[in-house]
Amino acid sequence: MFFLTAIMDRPVEGKAGEAIGRIEDVIVRMGDDRYPPISGLVVRDGPRRFFVSANLLQKLNGAARLSSSTVDLQPFARRSGEVLLRRDVLDHQLIDITGRRIVRVNDVQLTLVEGAYRVVGVDISPQALLRRLGPRALAGRIVGRQIVDWTDVQYLASTAPVQLKVSYDRLAELHPVDLARIVDALSYRESAEIVAALDEETAAETLEEVSDERVADLLEGMDQERAADILEEMAPGAAADALEDLDDEVAEQLLARMEPEEAADVQALLEYDEDSAGRIMTTDFVRVPARSTVGEALALIRSLEEVPDPLLAVYVVEPEDPATLRGLVRLRTLILSAPATPVTEVMDEDLPTVAPEDRAENAARILAEYNLLAVPVLDEERHLLGIVTVDDALAVLLPEIWQRRGGRTFA
Amino acid sequence: MRKRLWPYLLALGPGLLAASAGNDAGGIATYASAGASYGYGLLWAMVVVTICVGVVQEMSARMGAVTGKGFSDLVRETFSLRQTALILLTLLIANIGIIVSEFIGVAAAAELFGVSRYVAVPLAAVFVWLLVTRGSYGWVEKIFLFLTLAFLAYIGAAFLARPDWGRVLHETFAPRLHLEYGYLNLLIALIGTTISPYMQLYIQSSVVEKGVTPEDYRYTRFDVVVGTVSAGVVAVFIIIATAATLYPRHIVVDTAANAARALEPVAGHYAEALFAIGLLGASLLAAGVLPLATTYMLSEALGFERGVSRSWSEAPIFMGTFTGLIVLGAGIALIPGLPLIQVLVGVYVLNGLLLPVELFAILRLINDRELMGEHVNGRTYNFIAWGIAVVVSVLSLALIVMTVAGWLR
Repeated sequence: MFFLTAIMDRPVEGKAGEAIGRIEDVIVRMGDDRYPPISGLVVRDGPRRFFVSANLLQKLNGAARLSSSTVDLQPFARRSGEVLLRRDVLDHQLIDITGRRIVRVNDVQLTLVEGAYRVVGVDISPQALLRRLGPRALAGRIVGRQIVDWTDVQYLASTAPVQLKVSYDRLAELHPVDLARIVDALSYRESAEIVAALDEETAAETLEEVSDERVADLLEGMDQERAADILEEMAPGAAADALEDLDDEVAEQLLARMEPEEAADVQALLEYDEDSAGRIMTTDFVRVPARSTVGEALALIRSLEEVPDPLLAVYVVEPEDPATLRGLVRLRTLILSAPATPVTEVMDEDLPTVAPEDRAENAARILAEYNLLAVPVLDEERHLLGIVTVDDALAVLLPEIWQRRGGRTFA
Repeated sequence: MRKRLWPYLLALGPGLLAASAGNDAGGIATYASAGASYGYGLLWAMVVVTICVGVVQEMSARMGAVTGKGFSDLVRETFSLRQTALILLTLLIANIGIIVSEFIGVAAAAELFGVSRYVAVPLAAVFVWLLVTRGSYGWVEKIFLFLTLAFLAYIGAAFLARPDWGRVLHETFAPRLHLEYGYLNLLIALIGTTISPYMQLYIQSSVVEKGVTPEDYRYTRFDVVVGTVSAGVVAVFIIIATAATLYPRHIVVDTAANAARALEPVAGHYAEALFAIGLLGASLLAAGVLPLATTYMLSEALGFERGVSRSWSEAPIFMGTFTGLIVLGAGIALIPGLPLIQVLVGVYVLNGLLLPVELFAILRLINDRELMGEHVNGRTYNFIAWGIAVVVSVLSLALIVMTVAGWLR
């Protein structure tokens, strides 16, 4: 096991020990291997840079030794699918999947596995930096390494100037909240690469947690069809926040490309100010006509194609006018009551409600004061528009510092 | 027509902000000193330096747009580790100097209001730290920026002081050069304050953050040019105003109160208050942005966990560096008996001396075809850019030689 910085600029010898040049860089083939194999070296001899295939390598550690004394002096040219360890990996950024953070590669660990030299890990310790900064003779005296296994890192294809097919499978191990933190901390282009690799649902969950400005930039930068698909998957409130930060023209194009139903939800929320109860409310809830029984209400829930999550209560409305709220039945009550009981008998009336224009904090305060899990939002005509759940309100109540902050800009 | 103009106006922002941040405490002190000590004698330099700023800022913005990466990222990924260390160290020293100068600016502004700096500076340090770590800096920044509009009063002051416009033009376009220590010192300070490394860091990172692409880069370039020109105009008028009012009376700008006296034609008795408001805004603006920018620069290059919303245990080095920079800057500004304005100018002389390192690093990166592709400098443009780097280096070297010669005498 050895390290890239220990072999960089070291001599390369032929079969008989004659000098051929020095190691300029190490070429790695990125593919399906868990540990990418070395495909060759870039060897420097004076002003010349040429390629030496890994097949000729007898030994790499210490002084590199080749199995032949003749080498092809064809000048080195970059090829797609290949990465230069010194130029494209060392000193570059990677995502440490287990550590859920962005790291910089201070050294690269190599080893001989199954007859091939392979990249097995990266050293991210500050000691590795010190070893490289000081004179080489002192390097051995500095101890301490922090190795991240190569199977635990995500390489960013945008780092290398060649076409790369990088597998992004490892990103799936990250929780959307951690993904969002990484997307916020990376530069725009790198974050766009990450989001492009996610499926629509994960992308939507991730973007819900990313700062509004970055989401707007990302949506604007991607294909409109995909942007619209992701917006459909996002919570309508988060989608509305993101659209509001876009140019009006782009926002309208995206809304037009969304499924009419989802677009209408988002558009309805856009009517209300940011930080209003109307903006954070959920329009996804279950209405039950007042003449139903508990059993019918439960059957109605089961028959729904998409059941709201979280499902806290069902809302009892006038049978002729489903916009008029009569009361609500908690899910707990619904389960405990006999199926034949009319819902009007077990429903709670005289509920506290909020108006969509009310401040979101106000809705949160009512939830806390009345120990509710959700509060209905009614307009001036007392029509039921939506509900604000504890989940929605929590994001408002928590101080701003807990929220994802706007990326890396200095201000 | 309207449709074609609109994207340009929308793009106005980072370039404008970066350039006006250049007119901070040290900038005002340097421009006022230049006018008071040499009359219109350094006006030509201000015009030349403004063009240089434009060229350097444009290169930084272009790097950001083409590579999508910040300056310290590019340095770490392109240069050897030892070169990276040297470049980051000079940027760190330069930025620490400017952080000190911002707190000195706060001190000077407070003293104009009759508040002791031993009260004002620690208060400002805590205030800025809280604002940035609690994440409420965004809108406060706009207030600070608004306060700096007070410096626009220098434009009015310059006109009301009835300068001899014929002489102003003559000295600008047919300058007489002096080769003496004080003149050269101020010339380098003028370069150092106007081409501050953090302005390049700032413009590049905001271009990266906004995700500007090479295709719509022309709007960013427009922003850079407008920002540079408007900051240059303010600087030129500060020199004219002080040259017309202070120079004939042989008033040297050694205190903030003296610098404020050039505003008397506009503001009368309120000159000091107006000056103090502008100074306070400019100083607080940069005192928040700089420690944060410097900490990001180091953390990005070295790969530490970063972000002001992280707790101490999550990002100890990040939070420690950020806090340390503020404490250090405020601490130095509190040293008793520190001659404020001289230190301000001194900081920018240091900045000017360190500038060549940064300029050569930018030139190396901007001409790297693997990074920049077809967007490397054109031949003429490269000639000008290299010219700037070489001239700044020669001037810095000359100042060092003259300083050493002064000691030996």
